[in-house]
Amino acid sequence: MSEANADDDIVNEMLPAFIEEANEQIEALEQLLLELEAAPDDRKLLDTLFRCAHTVKGSAGVFGLDRVVSFTHHVEALLDRLREGFVSLSPALSTLLLQSNDVIRTLVNNALDDQYQVPEELVLRLKQATQAGSSAKESPVEAVAQNQATVLPAPTDERRWKISVNFGVDTFRHGIDPLTLLNYVRALGSMSDVVCETQQVPSLDAFEAENCYLNVEFCLHTKATLDDIEQAFKFAREDCELSITALDDNTQNIEASTDAASASGESPLPITSGDAGAVAVATQKPQRQRAAGPASGGSDEGGFIRVQADRLDEVINLLGELVIAGAGASMLARQTQQRTLVEANQQVARLIEGIRNSTLKLRMVPIGDTFARFRRVVRDTATELGKDVMLEIKGGETELDKAMIERIADPLMHLVRNALDHGLETPEQRSAAGKCAQGKLTLSACHEGGNVLIRIIDDGRGVQRDKVLQRAWDRGLVDQGVVPPETEILNLIFAPGFSTAEKVTNLSGRGVGMDVVRSNVEALRGTVSISSNAGQGSCIEIRLPLTLAIIDGFLVGVGPSKFILPLESVVEVIANRTSQTTVDEHGRSCVELRGQVLPVVNLRTLYALDSPQPELSSVVVVRSGMRHYGLMVDTLLGQHQTVIKPLGMLLRSLRGVSGSSILGTGEVALIFDTTSLGQLVVQPRVVTSQTKRSEGSMSPIVNSHL
Amino acid sequence: MQAAHALPSELTIYTVSEFYPQCLNWVNERTTDEVDESAVLCLDAQGVSDVDAAGVQLLLSMSNSLEKVNRQLLLSNPSQALSDACHAMGATCLMGATDVEVLKS
Repeated sequence: MSEANADDDIVNEMLPAFIEEANEQIEALEQLLLELEAAPDDRKLLDTLFRCAHTVKGSAGVFGLDRVVSFTHHVEALLDRLREGFVSLSPALSTLLLQSNDVIRTLVNNALDDQYQVPEELVLRLKQATQAGSSAKESPVEAVAQNQATVLPAPTDERRWKISVNFGVDTFRHGIDPLTLLNYVRALGSMSDVVCETQQVPSLDAFEAENCYLNVEFCLHTKATLDDIEQAFKFAREDCELSITALDDNTQNIEASTDAASASGESPLPITSGDAGAVAVATQKPQRQRAAGPASGGSDEGGFIRVQADRLDEVINLLGELVIAGAGASMLARQTQQRTLVEANQQVARLIEGIRNSTLKLRMVPIGDTFARFRRVVRDTATELGKDVMLEIKGGETELDKAMIERIADPLMHLVRNALDHGLETPEQRSAAGKCAQGKLTLSACHEGGNVLIRIIDDGRGVQRDKVLQRAWDRGLVDQGVVPPETEILNLIFAPGFSTAEKVTNLSGRGVGMDVVRSNVEALRGTVSISSNAGQGSCIEIRLPLTLAIIDGFLVGVGPSKFILPLESVVEVIANRTSQTTVDEHGRSCVELRGQVLPVVNLRTLYALDSPQPELSSVVVVRSGMRHYGLMVDTLLGQHQTVIKPLGMLLRSLRGVSGSSILGTGEVALIFDTTSLGQLVVQPRVVTSQTKRSEGSMSPIVNSHL
Repeated sequence: MQAAHALPSELTIYTVSEFYPQCLNWVNERTTDEVDESAVLCLDAQGVSDVDAAGVQLLLSMSNSLEKVNRQLLLSNPSQALSDACHAMGATCLMGATDVEVLKS
């Protein structure tokens, strides 16, 4: 009983890993199916597709998930017909396969839930599609294949194999059920003459219930190749001796199979003559077969290891503490003025920085996988809306913190759907407007100034400003008759409860989306903005910080207060200049930099800091998007590895600041958000003479205009 | 023929160890019994709903034990699940059939 429980535990323990891996295969299937639409005859794609489906089926078989096995088998059969050229890919067939893939996903994710019923109608359609391929046997492809049969039989020819499986004594203990395995192999074709060597099973007195004594022999009539048959036993390789013999007198055929096996990385198989033209092609020991494993390709064989995300988080948290402790040690070392101690500490600091960069990279994943998921959304949504849309993906290799990617996926999904629903027009409307009938949606990502910039660009009708304004008036978001500046009209789209859709569709238009998108992005210390040209399309830009954990910072001081700027955003520094600035016609402080006017923020004024302005101060030139601006500070304290800590409740509404950090001395420094700080530069009216000054403390500038 | 005992509903790797002593008892009962009629151990198999290779193997072992002493195992009213499993594994001797069905996918 305890062993049975142990097995149960093993299955329960392994199942999440199976589900995760199967989901990866299913995701790959979906992407491949979508790629196949553009290149329906790509044999490589078809082979990979088939292999993915086969892997899902095989691993599900090991776990005894019969419903997954039997449903995936239908999909696999259809893919095989596609691969062999008997069925050609039509949009309807592609939709059928995508829907089937969805069902496989649901089946896998509900592996232990017997309630979920496989849609019979879908199985029927799959069978029909597969049979349609079978009845089209006289297709040109087949005719050619038949003509060539005398030279080299087409790989689709059914052949008979004699297969003998000698299961090892520990087969059951390793979680393999020979019955499931045999049922799985049966799916490759038709099985006959199944004989179990019953005499090998000892009588009860010598019987160990959990030992396996089974030897089974059978004939398999199948179109599958030797490779395919061996693949079917992939999961039991260590537990059985397998012998596969072709019951065929066509030696050329056998050689072809043997070559195929050699090409896949195996050592040449023994070929010996047998009775009645039977030729033994494969009698392999388990070890030999295992060596052939990598050639047959699983998706996880590229030298990767899976690590639980929380373990990684723990390392990063510890690293944060190490960075702070390291900074403290360096500071103490400097105070002692002992050169050797300072140098030793610098060496430690360099190593910490190296570890920090490497560790943070572990969490970085390319955003392309998330983008690729939208291919299906775009395809299905566009079809549903009767639109023709091409999705272009740029910069998919751009890396972003994994946690960030997970949390940005939903807002992105909404923006993509929104662009499809509201932005892009139907082919008729586009033609009438003199545009190409096919709409274009671009998802792009790139690094810019320590941020990741994601753009969702469509070439649709653009934002209709008059409709937006009318809706804003109707909803009371803007006073009736008041026309705000152009950019503010566009930003109204992100206001809570705003929707311009004339009819609410099931895709978007409930007015609950765009404000949620904005709050989600802002929760990630990011910003979202929109630009639009009437009739030409819209572009939504999302800016996100690279990571939520540690950044390279530039430490500055204003009086006793310390601030940190992300180092990537610092362009240059004008050190020790007069604290005097000129004021332009909008009331903004400016300094002259190489003949150009540079707007400058005086942090002392902005945050109402109570310390006297020194005679000389420095200006840090900061880049924010396309803009440059200056920050007037008292002291420049240099580069600083910054562990980002969240802001407390009190400071969360403070504009221009995105987080805080603990310095080596134990002091707290605020980290600037250069983008929102830049907005303060161009909107000097936020800081007025009425800004309250509270003695000895900073007064939060209330975000009054949002 | 009247079934002497009934097989449990689950005959899988999870239950074979538990069920094994019972099988041993049944076989011993028959082997020590001198009456002619008991040359056959008849087990009611209609309630078997869950069976795997380990379960079929245990039945084969029982059958072999009985054959050694010229007795026979007979499964009466085998359930579809048991019948399918025996056919799939080529253990058709348990079903009392000599012909092997061609199984198609």
